[in-house]
Amino acid sequence: MAELLLDPKIRLWVFLPIVIITFLVGIVRHYVSIILSSQKKIELLQVQDSQVMIRARLLRENGKYIPRQSFAMRRHWFNNEETGYFKVQKRAAASQNPMTDPGMMTDMLKGNVTNVLPMIVIGGWINWMFSGFLTTKVPFPLTLRFKPMLQRGVELAYLDASWVSSASWYFLNVFGLRTIYALVLGENNAADQSKIMQEQMSGAAMAMPQDPKAAFKAEWEALEITEHRWAVANAEIDVLSILDDHQHEPQQ
Amino acid sequence: MSYNFEELTYSEAKDLLRQWRENNERRSEDVMELWTTVLSDDLSKLGNEKHLVLEQVIYAALDCHSYGVATMCIYILSNEFPGSMRVMRHKAALLEAEEKYDEALEVLDSIIKADETNSAARKRRVAILKAQGLISEAIKELVDYLKKFMSDVEAWQELCSLYLQVQEYSRAAFCAEELILHQPHNHLMHQRLADIRYTMGGVENMELAKTYYCQALKLNPENMRALLGLFLVTNNLLNHYKSAGNSSKRKEVWKLCQWAQSSAARRQRAARALPPTPDLSQMMLALAITD
Amino acid sequence: MSVAKVTKDNNKSEPVAYSDAALRNNAVVVEYCRTSMAALSGSTAGVLGLTGLYGFAFYVFAVVSLWVMFMVKTGPNWNKYYVSRQSLLTNGFFGALFTYVLFWTFIYGMVHVY
Repeated sequence: MAELLLDPKIRLWVFLPIVIITFLVGIVRHYVSIILSSQKKIELLQVQDSQVMIRARLLRENGKYIPRQSFAMRRHWFNNEETGYFKVQKRAAASQNPMTDPGMMTDMLKGNVTNVLPMIVIGGWINWMFSGFLTTKVPFPLTLRFKPMLQRGVELAYLDASWVSSASWYFLNVFGLRTIYALVLGENNAADQSKIMQEQMSGAAMAMPQDPKAAFKAEWEALEITEHRWAVANAEIDVLSILDDHQHEPQQ
Repeated sequence: MSYNFEELTYSEAKDLLRQWRENNERRSEDVMELWTTVLSDDLSKLGNEKHLVLEQVIYAALDCHSYGVATMCIYILSNEFPGSMRVMRHKAALLEAEEKYDEALEVLDSIIKADETNSAARKRRVAILKAQGLISEAIKELVDYLKKFMSDVEAWQELCSLYLQVQEYSRAAFCAEELILHQPHNHLMHQRLADIRYTMGGVENMELAKTYYCQALKLNPENMRALLGLFLVTNNLLNHYKSAGNSSKRKEVWKLCQWAQSSAARRQRAARALPPTPDLSQMMLALAITD
Repeated sequence: MSVAKVTKDNNKSEPVAYSDAALRNNAVVVEYCRTSMAALSGSTAGVLGLTGLYGFAFYVFAVVSLWVMFMVKTGPNWNKYYVSRQSLLTNGFFGALFTYVLFWTFIYGMVHVY
């Protein structure tokens, strides 16, 4: 197949601008989302619930460091049939429709404004502005399967699969610059839109507020089957074995 | 480490302040000195860090009882952030430092009213009660707080020491156990529980104290206080087992006691190169009830 | 680059306890190094004009040499800083590969295609 020649002006006016635009849009999105993000108003009850859950989990994990009686006392306080915390506290099963909560609605809207909108607008603009260019060639051979992915907007049946069109180059950048954002802006930045897209795939399930009733039930069960094995019991023997080491050291 | 503050340039002073902030070094007097000699001329040069530095200076000023400086800083902040909870908290701290406790409580109450989940304001309330010497009220308040914020390690620690002040040892022990649950690898927590158990007395508590001193020593062999505690506990137990005639237990405890003594002596020898201190093993022997 | 020391309370029979915060900090630092490595080596491969399998071999070479550099830096007691040496080598292999390919393609396109 004959080698294609590309006009060097494409490099200067298409190839480079796409990289720069994608990068800068990511940075701008990061700061815009910082401006827009609202401090979530948390309910006292929510705080209390989460702290109780933390404490119960710690009891399960680190309960082995306290004496058996103390462990039993705490478990009784959580799990006792009549007065136990997990039994007495009644929480409404939280599964309301998010649409009924206006605060949540604004949050969702803000998320869409900062994430989805620029994606569509910039993507569309790039498609319109730089449409129909072949920009570059990936330096490794690819099978025909990749043609629709890499040559969006250029429908040439006999073109080698490793050529990349401008629209596809934009999408490659969107996904590939993710780690660079982590480098430049620090962890957990808002510029990373591919993560948001993943979230939107599985979105509905994750957006739901966690249901304290179910969580309490699960924690109750986990605590119920926890067995207490006192980890400190051997401390004396261990300490004495250090003693033996020290005594033998000078003689060696 | 001492600095000659007169010679520091503006950016050096800024870096120094940032370093102290990041390492949680309080150094209030140094901060005040930096503020008066270098920083206070031109606030705008601080740039991004202006507000953080102002906060740092506020608390340094409160520590040094220079309420004028603190008032000025709070004034600057509240001009820029009217109605901010954070600035309100600084105001409460200022009132508290000036011992205007009722007004401080009012401010804190208004913060809590506006934001129920503001745990810092709730804890300040406890601190005010404690400063007034109303220990039992402080305990009540803190228990209320802990009902809502159950995994606040600081609060459990404070409650533990408050209970110790009013000699409610079993409740203090409960708090100490809670601390262990939160930080099981911190030797000081184990040592604290052992201290409390030892103070409570009785064979069972002594046995527990012995075990937890050992755990503390296991986590950190350098813990001298735990070593001394172990020595005292084993002495006490030896006495008991001697009169009870439990020879196998006695032998075990005897071994531990010997170990505690010998390692204390070894530490003493190691430290002898340093300035002379009264002979520790002699002191421990004097403390020993049985030999 | 700072590698936080992982607190360790050791005893022959006892399991070693790691400090969670220190481990996380180490992971962040390693991730930082890995991304920089991917970007730099990708650019290098692009400038050199490597194509096909040579480019991927170069990536593997870069990953391994980064790992060797970590090992040299930590010295003989690497287990003070990381739980496992293998996971240090393999973690994030494909994530960084994407960055590498992007930079490789970018620089290759800039230098060799036109």
